[in-house]
Amino acid sequence: MSISQRPGLTVTALDRLLGFAMAATVIAVGLGFCWILGAIVAQGLGQISLAFLLAEPSNAGREGGIAPMLVSTLLILGVCLAIALPLGLGTALLLAEFTITDQRLGRLVRRSLDFLAGVPSIVFGLFGNAFFSQVLGLGFSILSGGLTLACMVLPLLIRTTEEGLRAVPPSYRQGAAALGLSQTTTLFKIILPAAVPGLIAGLVLGMGRALAETAALIFTSGYVDRFPRSLMDSGRALSIHIFDLSMNIPGGDARAAASALVLLTLLLLLNLLAGALAQRWANSS
Amino acid sequence: MKKISTIRQYSLGTVAFLMLGLTACAKPPQAANSEGIKLQGNIVLTGSSTVAPLAIEMGKRFEEQHPQVRVDVQTGGSSRGLADTRNGSADIGMVSRSLKPEEGDLTAHAIARDGIAIILHSENPVAELSPEQVVDIYQGQLTQWSDVAGGPTSPITVVNKAEGRSTLDVFLKHFDLKNSEIQAQVIIGDNEQGIKTVTGNPNAIGYVSIGAAEHSIGRGEPLKMLPLDGVSPSTTTLQDGTFPLARTLNLVTQGASEPTAQAFLQFAQSPQVQDLIEQQNFVPIESAPLAPSTP
Repeated sequence: MSISQRPGLTVTALDRLLGFAMAATVIAVGLGFCWILGAIVAQGLGQISLAFLLAEPSNAGREGGIAPMLVSTLLILGVCLAIALPLGLGTALLLAEFTITDQRLGRLVRRSLDFLAGVPSIVFGLFGNAFFSQVLGLGFSILSGGLTLACMVLPLLIRTTEEGLRAVPPSYRQGAAALGLSQTTTLFKIILPAAVPGLIAGLVLGMGRALAETAALIFTSGYVDRFPRSLMDSGRALSIHIFDLSMNIPGGDARAAASALVLLTLLLLLNLLAGALAQRWANSS
Repeated sequence: MKKISTIRQYSLGTVAFLMLGLTACAKPPQAANSEGIKLQGNIVLTGSSTVAPLAIEMGKRFEEQHPQVRVDVQTGGSSRGLADTRNGSADIGMVSRSLKPEEGDLTAHAIARDGIAIILHSENPVAELSPEQVVDIYQGQLTQWSDVAGGPTSPITVVNKAEGRSTLDVFLKHFDLKNSEIQAQVIIGDNEQGIKTVTGNPNAIGYVSIGAAEHSIGRGEPLKMLPLDGVSPSTTTLQDGTFPLARTLNLVTQGASEPTAQAFLQFAQSPQVQDLIEQQNFVPIESAPLAPSTP
């Protein structure tokens, strides 16, 4: 087998081999995903009903539903995003737009963020428990869980958003300056709308990580499977419910699969919502 | 506590403006209970994952009787229950063993009994292991099932519990082992994880709560419990006190408790929760005479 010397689009044996290898990789990845999804759907779909989504759990989660966990999960995610989005956008703007003159600050912040992004989530959990729950006295609460998740998601959010901002061509800024636009107008009317795809990518990744999180939440937002009355109440996230049903409750497997299916659907819906919002924002400005 | 609560107020104030929209779903406090007793406030329980599902169910029934009380149950293992009770972040700790002499600063309130059974995959032909054989297997001196009478020719996979788990403490104490001597291939956390490890590996040996194992066997999972000193493990032999590897599930407190926590402790030890204890495959304390070798 040798590579053909002839020019043009001649298909050689090596090309075919590479093509086959690529197709095989794609199929393997696709099959893996379908297997996971298939297993969850096969085990969980029969358990899902309106009552399952709207009822409180009983008998340690083997019976009843997951309504309190859904509410807690959404509240935790809400707190997380309410803190992480403004902070993340601000830091990304600083890094992408305002640190050209101060290289050292930018490098320092970026290094720390990349380091933080690689820290295992249980470390954030222990930090959250020590700082938010104990030092600030928030105890086991949705607030303390959401703040811990915000710390965890921030590095990811900032770095993705920064990449999005950097992808805006410099000619946009030069054009705006040539027209005499102020820095603020340039930012809100030109740069941010152009950077929306990057912002949404960061948001979607951050939401995914936050929704899937178990280790950081078990010591902060806690294990209580009741409807929270306020952000100061402890509330069990769906991911913790799935973990507990599959690892601590004999006979909880089917309910764990059903909860996992709900979590997947929730993630999908939130991603679609984020995409739709971004589309609307980009069109309106 | 005063200091912490002022810091809490302050920190709450700073983030409050971001939260306004989110707190809208908070429910208003419920009207006063029509009964004579008006208990109110939060009770926080942390600790053993074996006790946590039972404590949650007890808490729900207690809340039905006292609508102004909330029972918050957290998990993480018995050691965490002890630590949180001592440092005050929990009102009540959950510990799935008896207190040790050096833990005399805490008061134990027994709520149920549970046993620990050695489990094998149901395809494993081994029918019984002597205590010496269990010790040898866990110390890594017996590594092949063929070294045991009736065993197949395959290596033994030793499944041990993680540090800080009461099941580990009770097991070590019964067989007079040290955790540092144990040569384990798999370290597990919660009960169901142990059962899944053994049902997924015909060569594995592990030990879990009898209640959890009975529940799994009842659902037809490929699992069997080995008899110990000739007594087969079941909630029945636990109840009559003949099964040797038994433990007490405790709620622990430090010093004098608040009236609400005291009421909950009494409730958790009363006959009103007996059906919940049985539902979670444990043995109620009244009907369980103390086993001879209780750790």
